[in-house]
Amino acid sequence: MAKSDIKLKIPSAAFYIEPVRAFIGNLAQSLGFSRKRVADIQLVLDEICSNAVHHGSIDATVGVKLRIRIDTHSLEILVRDTGSRHTGEKSWLTHERLAEIEANRSPSSESGHGIFIAKSLADTYEIQSNAVGGTDVRVIFELLKPNNLKL
Amino acid sequence: MDSTKLMELREESGIKILEIKTDLSSYAASDLRKVLEDLLAEKVEKVVVNLSEVSHINSTAVGALVGVAKRLRQSGGDLKICALEDNLTRTFNLIGASSVVEIYESENSALAAF
Repeated sequence: MAKSDIKLKIPSAAFYIEPVRAFIGNLAQSLGFSRKRVADIQLVLDEICSNAVHHGSIDATVGVKLRIRIDTHSLEILVRDTGSRHTGEKSWLTHERLAEIEANRSPSSESGHGIFIAKSLADTYEIQSNAVGGTDVRVIFELLKPNNLKL
Repeated sequence: MDSTKLMELREESGIKILEIKTDLSSYAASDLRKVLEDLLAEKVEKVVVNLSEVSHINSTAVGALVGVAKRLRQSGGDLKICALEDNLTRTFNLIGASSVVEIYESENSALAAF
């Protein structure tokens, strides 16, 4: 399969994450990921989209962009937000904020698990500020890893 | 859409049983938090959350369950969870929440644990 990109833009509202989660699940299943891995991919997508909607958008109208890149070896998801300027910061996830979230996370925490989940479950995880003042989160799930394939 | 319509509440032997009939992604997780906050406001002390019809749960929903369990314990009550699919168990274990909230195989065993 040649490399292909699917681009989506959803309003910055939690309601729109569920249909995208369903879509990515069907796509991952079609690509041959195991049932367990499909669930992982759906969970990671939910978490990074939730962060983009709740922390990376000044309001519901700005939107969150997704680029889903597929080829014979992998499924890559890039989620791009435009940043919430409520705190005076351009990017919701500065390195300092990331370190603080990771340091404060515990099993009894009510929030702050999303980044940990994405880092734990994706084969590759990257987070960086983007040119529009927001945050890009990129995750890759590799199809050729034995544990990722359908049995 | 109001996903609280997919969260059924009943009572057995003084224990509130909340049966969730929708996947708990970001949108429904907010509704779950509202339903649980309403129970706290009503001074409910014992809650069982049945997740047998849930195939996906995100960290927001897990956080809501953990938070309410902690607050109920402060007043002598508790929130217990039951009937998790493997995917959900893995999410609870990954976050570490399975060490904070009591999880049971069935609704009956969760009820009996009170």
